[in-house]
Amino acid sequence: MMKTSAEVNLLLLLLVFTLHVKGMRYSPPGKPALTRCRSPEKETFTCWWESGSDGGLPTTHALFYRKENSEAVYECPDYRTAGENSCFFNKNNTSIWVSYNITVVASNALGSTFSDPVDIDVVYIVKPNHPEMVTVTVLEDKGWPFLRVSWEPPHKADTRSGWITLIYELRVKLEEENDWEMHLAGQQKMFNIFSLRSGGTYLVQVRCKPDHGFWSEWSSTSYIKVPDYIQREKPMWVLITCFCAFIFLILTWLLHMNGHSLKDFILPPVPGPKIRGFDKQLLKNGKSDEIFSSLVVSGFPPTTSPNCEDLLVEYLEVYVPEEQELMEESKDLHDICLKSEGCTSDSDSGRGSCDSHTLLMDKFREAKEEKRQRDQEKSRTGTEDQRQQKDWEEEGLTYAYEDMVSPNISSGRVKTWPSLFSPLPQYSSSRHNQKSSLEKAKKHCFSDSLFPPGSTSFSLDQGGQTTMEAIRSSNREFSLRIKQPHLLHSHTQARCQLQAHSEVNISSIGCKQALGGLRSPAPHSAEYVEVQRVNEENTVLLQPVESGHGHIDGCSQLPLGKDYSRVQGVDRYNRLLLKGEVPQEGDCLYDYQDMTGDRTENCYTSSSVPSIQKPTACIHTVIMGHDEMVLAENGYIDTLTARTLPNY
Amino acid sequence: MSANIRKVWVEVVCVLLCSSLSGVCSAPLCMNGQNGCHILSLSDLFDRVIQHSARMHGISNDLHSEFEQYFLPSKNQIGRVSRNCHTSTILTPNGKENAQRMARQELTEVILKLLLAWRDPLWHFHQSMAHHPDFNKFSSNKALEMSDMAHELRKGVEKVAEKMQMLGIISNSVSSLASPEAPLPANGHKWRLMKDYDLLYCFRRDSNKVQNYLKILKCRIVPEHGC
Repeated sequence: MMKTSAEVNLLLLLLVFTLHVKGMRYSPPGKPALTRCRSPEKETFTCWWESGSDGGLPTTHALFYRKENSEAVYECPDYRTAGENSCFFNKNNTSIWVSYNITVVASNALGSTFSDPVDIDVVYIVKPNHPEMVTVTVLEDKGWPFLRVSWEPPHKADTRSGWITLIYELRVKLEEENDWEMHLAGQQKMFNIFSLRSGGTYLVQVRCKPDHGFWSEWSSTSYIKVPDYIQREKPMWVLITCFCAFIFLILTWLLHMNGHSLKDFILPPVPGPKIRGFDKQLLKNGKSDEIFSSLVVSGFPPTTSPNCEDLLVEYLEVYVPEEQELMEESKDLHDICLKSEGCTSDSDSGRGSCDSHTLLMDKFREAKEEKRQRDQEKSRTGTEDQRQQKDWEEEGLTYAYEDMVSPNISSGRVKTWPSLFSPLPQYSSSRHNQKSSLEKAKKHCFSDSLFPPGSTSFSLDQGGQTTMEAIRSSNREFSLRIKQPHLLHSHTQARCQLQAHSEVNISSIGCKQALGGLRSPAPHSAEYVEVQRVNEENTVLLQPVESGHGHIDGCSQLPLGKDYSRVQGVDRYNRLLLKGEVPQEGDCLYDYQDMTGDRTENCYTSSSVPSIQKPTACIHTVIMGHDEMVLAENGYIDTLTARTLPNY
Repeated sequence: MSANIRKVWVEVVCVLLCSSLSGVCSAPLCMNGQNGCHILSLSDLFDRVIQHSARMHGISNDLHSEFEQYFLPSKNQIGRVSRNCHTSTILTPNGKENAQRMARQELTEVILKLLLAWRDPLWHFHQSMAHHPDFNKFSSNKALEMSDMAHELRKGVEKVAEKMQMLGIISNSVSSLASPEAPLPANGHKWRLMKDYDLLYCFRRDSNKVQNYLKILKCRIVPEHGC
């Protein structure tokens, strides 16, 4: 017997030695360890362990447990149900609210190793299974979809009897995302998820936990696809609408900014009336007097001649026709004269002879209307001589007209014009009875434009008047024409028209006194001569018109300066050429008497043409007679149609 | 003479008043069917009690965890296994079948017994926690709260028992435990030997038992909600 045991021992030692000699190390198994113990429903539980090194030898494991307050050691009843290295405790072996002391033993040929014991209480190791029957459905709430997730507790967990109370948790995420959205559901078994993405696919999972325990695993993933509740076309239309609204807002803002300029572009404002120099405030004030006064421009009508040169009349043509011609053409002349008396307007605009003549006439008429009437009366009563004398005494020109010339001038006065502007040959009209020996004379008439009407001292009251005797029986008529190259408007109408009777009967009138005065030469600045009348001898009685002040009393003044009282000749155009000469001593005046009378010529000058020397009488310009022939106060001379005077 | 008669007469009046008042005070204020008084249903009572017990268990669990951090139990496994709670004498079902097999009345009595058994130990535990230098104030407050909740829970369970008795669910034998002067079990003073840590361990288990038993009762009696 002892031999067998000794042999066994020797054999064992030999085996160990052999194994050792072979180089293999054998050792008892390593220490196993309980990893975990779990109970799914608080009725059973399972423990798992892991083994240590096996030591090169086949090892076995065993689980032993002890219950609380009991010394009995029990071994695991079930090693298989739960798999490898596990121990399953069924319901009969499970006690709740009892502490278990579990130990695993690993043993091999060389030994066994105990693991560390673990105390567990089943209540605290409950880890249920995941919820079951997870269903996800899409429901609608007022047109908006939502997910409804419902599940069931794990079938093993008895929640109906209240043995286990589970709380649930679910998680949701979109298919293409990575983050889960957690939701704690409590003890309820249903949950709603809102704010879904249209057309998206969602993943849902649920898990549970007992009030004191471990979370279960996540349930299997449930896929759900949300239908397209937002149409795909809508975002595009919404985008287009927003874009158009944005552009519309910008346009409105631009229009608001540039509204005024745009409005002016489309609807240009109507220009208001503008009168230069006119203050609109006057209209607003409403006072008509101020308005009208402001409308009156002081510069209109122009009363001053801006340029004297423009108004220059080159020459005055005095045509003294021959006796025959006068007789023949008397009527024609008359017609022409009448015509000329009419409105013969020249080419100058607005400056027709009529206009200014009219103005002048009007102005002068007012002043001399009375005088004319008086003269007419006087002429009717007395002889022409007497009348002439009176006229001479009076202011203004005296005219001798034949009745046939114009009815207005029935007194026989010859209508003369103040020759202030026209150097007319001066005639000693008084006391000259002219035969029909009128010479062609040319005289130059200067228009009154040389002398501004206002400034000129030209007045019909000037002295040095050569009055013409009334034509007694002369039927001659002649007309003087003053050629005026320029005529200003309302100006400078120097119309010398002298209507002579066929019987030129020029008699000197009333200048005897003046003749006396002529002897004493006085400085005379007479640049113009007025034709008073033509006597029968075709002599033109001219009378210089003094530029200065003329007065009846001062009639004795001799005209100063050059006097164009001499007719130099008549050119081929039937123009009377006047010759201006300084009055000298010794100049005599011709007394032109009637044609019937002898003509005494005294002091015949160099001119072959009997010069007509104007008497030194003051010029009195009287405008009377025909309306058209009325001169203005300042002595405008109207144009006359002249006939060529026969050369002498 | 008149003063004595006056004194006697005042005392008689006072006694009468006190008796009448005591009679009024002892009577319940809210009777069934009385107007203006909201009567809780049994289901609501159960829910309240269950919530209460759940909270109590939570506090005990927290305290136990704190204890494990500060005071690791000794590796003496034997000592831990031999730990014996003073309420182990109370027969409590250890499984679902056992708990479902137990009658409602017994179950209710078990609950009440448990709660009653822990009335004094919790109070003392709180006292020892308050004076222990290792514990902070929060732990002491939790111990106090735990003690109060145990007390309140017991009162609530008693109310539920009365309700059930009133509804005829259980018999009237439970009322015997309602008296505050119920005699403690024989090992009632065993708890004085327990350490604080073991005491917490035991109470955590018992609070869980109470909660679970109440849930079982509820789902058995009034299974409308949450079962």
